Amino acid sequence: MHFECTDLTFTYPGADKPVLDRLSFSMAAPGFNAVFGPSGVGKTSFARLLAGHGTLAEEHCRHEGLSTLLYSYNQERLPGWASTGSHLEKVCPEENTGLKDELIRIFRVESLMDARFSQLSMGQQNRMNLIRYLIQDFDLLILDESLANVDEALRETIILAMKDLFPDRLFLYISHNLMEVARFCRDILILSRGKSGTVVRGLDYTLGYVPDPAGLDRTMLEIMNAV
Amino acid sequence: MRSVNRTRIIIWTATAIIFWLCSVWPAAADGPVKLNYRLKWLFNTSVAGDIMAVEAGFFERSGLDVTVKEGGPEKNAIKELELGYADFGVASADQVIRALDKGADVVVLAQLFQINPMQWIYRADQHRIEMPEDLRGRHIGVTFGGNDETIMNTLLAMGELTKADVRMSSVRFDFSPFLKRKVEIWPVYRNSQGVILETKLAREGEKVLFLNPAEFGVSFVANSVVTSGKTVKSHPGRVKAFLKALMAAWEYAMDPANEPMVLAEIAKKDKGTEDLIRMKQLDATRELVKPSPRLKIGTIDTDAWRQTETIMLEEKQIKKPVLVHTRLYGFPAE
Amino acid sequence: MLFRRIYQFLIVYAAGVSGLMGIKYGVGLSDYVIPGPELILETAGRVLTTYFFDCINTLSVTILGQLISIFMAFSVGILGRKSTWVGSFIKVMAYNIQAYPIVALAPIIFILLGDGFLSRLLIASMICYFPLLLSVLGIMASPVEDIEHFYKATGRMRWQLEVKIRAFENLSKLTTVIAGSATLAMAGTIVAEFIAADAGIGYSIRIALYQSDLAGILTALFMIGIIISVYQGLLETAGEQVKTKWSAPKGGTLI
Repeated sequence: MHFECTDLTFTYPGADKPVLDRLSFSMAAPGFNAVFGPSGVGKTSFARLLAGHGTLAEEHCRHEGLSTLLYSYNQERLPGWASTGSHLEKVCPEENTGLKDELIRIFRVESLMDARFSQLSMGQQNRMNLIRYLIQDFDLLILDESLANVDEALRETIILAMKDLFPDRLFLYISHNLMEVARFCRDILILSRGKSGTVVRGLDYTLGYVPDPAGLDRTMLEIMNAV
Repeated sequence: MRSVNRTRIIIWTATAIIFWLCSVWPAAADGPVKLNYRLKWLFNTSVAGDIMAVEAGFFERSGLDVTVKEGGPEKNAIKELELGYADFGVASADQVIRALDKGADVVVLAQLFQINPMQWIYRADQHRIEMPEDLRGRHIGVTFGGNDETIMNTLLAMGELTKADVRMSSVRFDFSPFLKRKVEIWPVYRNSQGVILETKLAREGEKVLFLNPAEFGVSFVANSVVTSGKTVKSHPGRVKAFLKALMAAWEYAMDPANEPMVLAEIAKKDKGTEDLIRMKQLDATRELVKPSPRLKIGTIDTDAWRQTETIMLEEKQIKKPVLVHTRLYGFPAE
Repeated sequence: MLFRRIYQFLIVYAAGVSGLMGIKYGVGLSDYVIPGPELILETAGRVLTTYFFDCINTLSVTILGQLISIFMAFSVGILGRKSTWVGSFIKVMAYNIQAYPIVALAPIIFILLGDGFLSRLLIASMICYFPLLLSVLGIMASPVEDIEHFYKATGRMRWQLEVKIRAFENLSKLTTVIAGSATLAMAGTIVAEFIAADAGIGYSIRIALYQSDLAGILTALFMIGIIISVYQGLLETAGEQVKTKWSAPKGGTLI
């Protein structure tokens, strides 16, 4: 199964130049893949185009078997009138209650269930937000800086747990963290100005991985060359 | 740089002050005297004489440059006299007496209405009111707080009636409660609203009658020409000239021979009223301002003023006697 | 909040009356034009109780009128929040009608409904309805994307939830607008009473005006100021409490 796009071009109304210019790529699915590139290159625009189910994305992208697409981003908020625990409970499908409790434990937010969203730190807010997406029914989940402000060690734990718990889903992880992307992602779509999109193979570490410093250097160099 | 700015500011300020002074400075001393005359109500037939004083050149011929300003519910000529916005004005007797009660320096120069236009209209098919006692059990409209309430209370007292013997309703500009027969007896200014209602109902085949309190001995004075005591003392010649011109204009306006010219001038200012109504209003005004050919317009009915003061005292509209008869200057003799 | 409103009003009122006294004694005006302190106090002693009950009468119409207009504004605002033709039509209508001075319609209302309670209520409601509607429309038509995105993406969004999110996120604005509209509703009721009614403080002011009784008018203004300050203060306090209650944590660890 593959996730492909061909000649995807998108220009914002009133803009002179397209933000995505004839973007073409193919990446494996399912898996934990990434979209990487410098700021302003169109990562978020690409993600929103995919998630927005617009005709443009439908015409130019093929993603058979991926019917439910969700897009999460790092500035999302939970409503403030009830506790975060109560919100998670409300949006959790009954069959995923166990998964929710496990994610709460892995994401280390057990003690925050009675707090209001506005009382959490930014990292805590992002973790809480991600949990509610993970307990939904989805085939492709786009994580647009969804783990921003989370410390590195916890981020690693979360990513590895996601890969372990959802082996049959496709993730598109949008991040600026080169090393993280190189270590944990399988196919890395590199977006850069003037180029149509290159896919670099990452190390795709899973739980209990053995570090490969030489391979990491190689992958990072390959990504940097593609940018 | 800062001093240049400051100089500029000073020059601009000085220029602005000079312009302002030029605009507000009185006209050259040898020109006509500029005066402001504040009416009690809007321009309509009931101020025919005031309109003609300007339009037929009575003021101009007396060497006066008078601006006649419309009145209205929120306008008060006596206050404007005191504040210096007006030199002469028209005020009702209750306004004059109330002002005197509160220490205002106001004097009455002429009484425009010999019969108070404040009367009550009722349908001719209803029981005729021939004495105050006939008001018993009737549904009467009054403007609470207005001088019609004071007059009605006096009428009731004369008929040895209390408010409990009648039914009183508050009235406004809208005549529909009377037209719908919800209220039987409705207060009107006889020469303006009275004419309109009378004509309107006549078109529907209904006849009306008017309840005139003066017929029962209640002489409550209406509109009069007033000025301040200070003006009378400091400019007696100006006061005399103004009054002479104004009264002559009223005589002219009330003369049936001049009716076409007078109606034409009123029509220019009161465009909303139809010609027939204006004509009837002028007739009605004539009967109130000059009820007999021998009576000079502006004549002050001292007894009526005294009675007005007494009524207001009895109705607790004023706290103490104001001796209004001492403030009636009357029409200056030739 | 409540006491601040009252003493702010007292300061403004005292400044206003002092200004009038300054003019009176500076220019040497009689009590007929500007009443002196003695006359004001004497009049106040005579009419204060009556005016208090008149104000309460006016306030009762104001509160009812405001409740009606809040209900109406929310109903129409919720209906008009969508960018459908119905929503656009409601918005265009609201913007156009609010530009029309409602007081100008008062005579028609009095002719049709008479000068009783209904006319006062209708005018009060209409005067505070349109500013409220514009605020509610503005709030309800502005998506709170950061919160709503999840519910839209997962197909959980319902109109009740959308309204709840937008109202909650703009709670301060809404409570301020509602408290502010109290003044409008009170002004509307007073204007209605002044034009044509047979009860309320506006009616008493009109009678005082007929009699050139500025002392009475000053007393009425004092009473109106105090009553509206108390009412607005109570509304603001209630708004604060709603905000605190709705957004306060019910336990948990503060981070």
